[in-house]
Amino acid sequence: MNNSIKSLLAVLFGLLAGALLMAVTGHNPVEGYKFLIQGGLKSPERIGNTLATATPLILTGLSVAFAFRTGLFNIGAAGQMLFGGFCATAVGLSVDLPRALLLTLMVLAGFIGGALWALIPGILKARYNVHEVVSTIMMNWTAYWTVYYVIPGYFKGESLETESRQLPPEAMLHASWLSDMFQGSYINLGFFIGVVAVLVVAFLINKTTLGYELKAVGFNRHSAEYAGIAVKRSIVLSMFIAGGIAGLAGVAQYAGNASSLQIGVLPSQGFDGIAVALLGANAPLGVMVSALFFGVLYSGRGFMNAMTEIPPEIADSIIAIIIYFAATSILIERLFRKWKVRKSRAPHSAANKKQGEREHVDNA
Amino acid sequence: MKKGVLSLISLALSVTMLAGCGGKPASEPTGGAGSDAPKANFKVGMVTDAGTIDDKSFNQGTYEGIVKANKDFNMEYKYLKPAGTTEADYSKEIGNLYDAGFKFIVTPGFKFETAVHKAQEKYKDAKFVLIDGSPRPNPDADPELKENTVAIYFAEQESGFLAGVATALHVKDGQAGFIGGMKIPPVQKFNWGFQQGVKYANESLGTKVTINKENVVYQGTFDDVAAGSQLAAQMYDRGVNVIFAAAGGVGVGAINEAKTRVQNGNDVWVVGVDVDQYQDGVYEGDKSVILTSAVKKIDQAAYDMIKAETEGKFPGGQTITLDAKNDGVGLPAENPNLSEDILKQVDEVFNKIKAGEITVAAEQGDLIE
Amino acid sequence: MDYVVEMVGIRKEFPGIVANDDITLQLKRGEIHALLGENGAGKSTLMSILFGMYQPDRGVIKVNGREVRISNPNVANRLGIGMVHQHFKLVEAFTVTENIILGSETRRVGMLDIRTAANRVEALSKQYGLNVDPHAKIEDISVGMQQRVEILKMLYRDAEVLIFDEPTAVLTPQEIEDLQGIMKNLVQEGKSIILITHKLKEIKAVADRCTVIRRGRTIGTVDVADTSRETMAEMMVGRSVSFKVDKQESRPGETVLEIRSLTVKNSKKVDALKAFSLELRAGEIVGIAGVDGNGQTELIEAITGLRQAESGSVILNGKDITGLSVRQRNESGIGHIPEDRQKRGLVLDYTLEENLILEIYKRPPYSKNGLLQRAAIRKHAEHIIQSFDVRSGEAGRSIVRSMSGGNQQKAIIGREVERDPDLLIAVQPTRGLDVGSIEYIHRRLVEQRDKGKAVLLVSLELDEVLNLSDRIAVINNGELVGVVNASETNEQELGLMMAGYHKEEGSA
Repeated sequence: MNNSIKSLLAVLFGLLAGALLMAVTGHNPVEGYKFLIQGGLKSPERIGNTLATATPLILTGLSVAFAFRTGLFNIGAAGQMLFGGFCATAVGLSVDLPRALLLTLMVLAGFIGGALWALIPGILKARYNVHEVVSTIMMNWTAYWTVYYVIPGYFKGESLETESRQLPPEAMLHASWLSDMFQGSYINLGFFIGVVAVLVVAFLINKTTLGYELKAVGFNRHSAEYAGIAVKRSIVLSMFIAGGIAGLAGVAQYAGNASSLQIGVLPSQGFDGIAVALLGANAPLGVMVSALFFGVLYSGRGFMNAMTEIPPEIADSIIAIIIYFAATSILIERLFRKWKVRKSRAPHSAANKKQGEREHVDNA
Repeated sequence: MKKGVLSLISLALSVTMLAGCGGKPASEPTGGAGSDAPKANFKVGMVTDAGTIDDKSFNQGTYEGIVKANKDFNMEYKYLKPAGTTEADYSKEIGNLYDAGFKFIVTPGFKFETAVHKAQEKYKDAKFVLIDGSPRPNPDADPELKENTVAIYFAEQESGFLAGVATALHVKDGQAGFIGGMKIPPVQKFNWGFQQGVKYANESLGTKVTINKENVVYQGTFDDVAAGSQLAAQMYDRGVNVIFAAAGGVGVGAINEAKTRVQNGNDVWVVGVDVDQYQDGVYEGDKSVILTSAVKKIDQAAYDMIKAETEGKFPGGQTITLDAKNDGVGLPAENPNLSEDILKQVDEVFNKIKAGEITVAAEQGDLIE
Repeated sequence: MDYVVEMVGIRKEFPGIVANDDITLQLKRGEIHALLGENGAGKSTLMSILFGMYQPDRGVIKVNGREVRISNPNVANRLGIGMVHQHFKLVEAFTVTENIILGSETRRVGMLDIRTAANRVEALSKQYGLNVDPHAKIEDISVGMQQRVEILKMLYRDAEVLIFDEPTAVLTPQEIEDLQGIMKNLVQEGKSIILITHKLKEIKAVADRCTVIRRGRTIGTVDVADTSRETMAEMMVGRSVSFKVDKQESRPGETVLEIRSLTVKNSKKVDALKAFSLELRAGEIVGIAGVDGNGQTELIEAITGLRQAESGSVILNGKDITGLSVRQRNESGIGHIPEDRQKRGLVLDYTLEENLILEIYKRPPYSKNGLLQRAAIRKHAEHIIQSFDVRSGEAGRSIVRSMSGGNQQKAIIGREVERDPDLLIAVQPTRGLDVGSIEYIHRRLVEQRDKGKAVLLVSLELDEVLNLSDRIAVINNGELVGVVNASETNEQELGLMMAGYHKEEGSA
């Protein structure tokens, strides 16, 4: 079954479930969705805002998807994003360079910061077989509290204890031609970081020997080992890259969509990235499309609220339920496969079953 | 396919169950949209700060003021909840309200300063009420107030001062402590005022209450209930009798800890914040661990601005400070845990503040951070 | 005639494929009836129909003379039909009894009553000579024992007809013999057995009658005693098959592989291979014979670099490769057909062409400057697909998971042989494959030998070792028992050596 059909079906189910929720709570689903979509796309400014909202999601989604393609479950995109954003902010606040150079340096710092944050779980996984789900979650909180301590300690603004100083304009990803093009939207150069990252990852995964190696390790560690691929090194490298991409999300968020780093907030985009990746079938371009879809939802939700009688809490539930269903595209595949095994290719069904079992053993 | 059908059914079921849960608030008249009033041209919008609409603090106070105004005036109202806490998130929701025709917009919290600064320029035909802050191009800049915006501040330090006096008078000889949420200006002002109040009582009213440095703590969040309990337990163990908790959910933790201890026969108290928290501290019958609360009348502020607008007297371009003088801050009307005598003395102090005989500093000075 | 199960004129069609076409199978009470056919001939579908997992499009099923409709496996169970699956469905951490009663727990006042169940399991075990300890944990008992637990499960549920699906695939020669004994006990006690297999030797050993199917059709049912293996094989494959591997006398050349006093620990940190030494020369096939788990895996892993040796050395073409990585060894001239093709040999979710460059993707022309060269990769795949007759749905673009086991194995062999290694290691190269594929693979291995390569063959099937090897090294408990010439030995002698008796002792 084609992945995009699967994802579209998942979205469709999600929208139906959301409509059901609206109907049950006494609201008109058609109207609700109309304003939801208008809110995301009605004017150039809203389109720009949607793209900006989607930008960190593209990158966290890409991070999760990349890790997933190489057999790792990166739950720590939030922490990597936060720490990457922190590194970029720190550079932006302390280094004085021409703009182009400064921005390049910040992007680099963001990537490295996120990458280092994921490197630790990577090493723990490769050397001591510590499951990355556990260690990346713990790293989330380590990042949270590190930033919590360091921002007030070293980068505090004059009047606010809970956020860093504002980045100077030359250290921000805003570009006036872009804002003007989208009539005052806060869309910024971060969007292009996202697009470039998607293209680079797509290229890396599909065209290079490195991608071939990393995917082989992800699919089957044992056969990668048999083939002479350095499995441990690949795991560490995968986490490094995935963390770096999440770090870029931090750059886009804190130096693009926002202008300072607030403490006490673990960015929700890190977790939404998991849903984005699932819906995007872990393919770079799929991630891009699904992040844009999420962008429309998040961006249009407020307008739906404002134009209808749907209160924010219900609107949140509607968005959550759409995401929930959208992220079940895997379930849809499973249902479909079951149906397929029943209905067709029976002579191979026994063989399929054997392979399925084998797969479980591999995973164990 | 049977299993497939089953899972679909169960999914559908879970949807209806969710919907069932969600159904209630919408059917209540106090839901997000004020459809009970007749449709009117006057539409009041609100954007919430981080946290829910029933946060027992800023969001709730503002919202209650709006709901109250809705009863008295011909208007429509609505609140929106931003996805995050960045300026962009806030600006988006302000834009949504504006596009939907809500041109009187109330925003609670200093975090809206930059967003409102942009909005007052962009939406010249809309009016903004910014509570606890003033529009600025960036957080460290000077305020720039346009004709269509009112900035409202509270003298939290005065409210904290009164709570400090009441605490000292009640304890007489002992220790007090402070738990703050995040280190943001309103919380800090509560803290400093509280310390000054205790000091005043020691110097002028004959009490002997100390506040040690280790008993003034900012937990760092407004939602970590467990941490609040832990901090409170540590302070009580160190001999603190009363904790002033200006910390949202963290304060709830402190209140819980106090309840446990009181039920074990200890004599410990909590001073609430923002609104009268007496009910939150009830542990038995109508007995509460809340000694009193340092109140700021956010609802009143929101109500007053709406009222002024309907009367055509919107004080655009002004910065208004609500303090003891205009009864914008103080202690709750009812204080069952304070004796008549103490209340009388507190009242005297309150009047002295009103009269300007006592001034309460809004800065740290030589106080504990 | 007293048939306990009759399946008459069964037809089952799936989109695009007729899996069963007018198949008739009649099982007499108290007989062992073999169902013989190549992989994909329709055996599994037929048994799935009998077990209630599929509904036939046409045809009649009778149990004890009464026509029945078996709508799901529970119905099959109630009719007394039980299936011993090839892959056991057991909970590792549970005891034998717990596993057996799972799903039909005995209760007493709402509480689990293990004791009654255990007693019954023990009684059944005794009655059929199964010798299973009802209190042992599954993870602690051997594969052969686990299979008996599966059998007990069926007996516990009062099954009258037992279906065995390829039951010997996972067993050692000794265990196979034991199993055959058990099957005979079962029929003596009045049970009836359907044995699904493609191994003629087993059919000869236990079955009374045999129904052969080919491409979804019944070819015929024969009395096993009156039919030769060759005839049955011909019925199965559709052409005459030779069992004897056709090969010339070997002409060994230079020493290719020298293993010197190699000691290797297993995953449990116990010495699994102890001071093992062996020499392998160009142009010969050396077979390693031994019961499973006697150090073969560790030996191969130590040669290929997948496992670190404790001491000793491996010398390839005069060069010590003991310290080299897997890739360096690959590149020094080792080809490896691994024991478990799905776990080690293939990335099942990669396409066939991606799998065919598994070890050489870094080399030109398959990649340049770190970029994969699709055209070269495709050409390479097409070459192997053609010369090794690898069949799949979409040629090089097929996902390997969708290919049959035989074709997966051919792909691996093609890949390894094409790399033209000096030493070709083949571990269980024909496991689970049908006669046609086995014959083909054997021919390919001999061909490598004749081209002057050294071939190291590890197999648990004594027949295969005897037929294919020039010399046979017998391994027991991690030690080399002895090396014999294949032409001068026989199954009895090897069997004794595999049990640890040295040749001298054996002949003395």
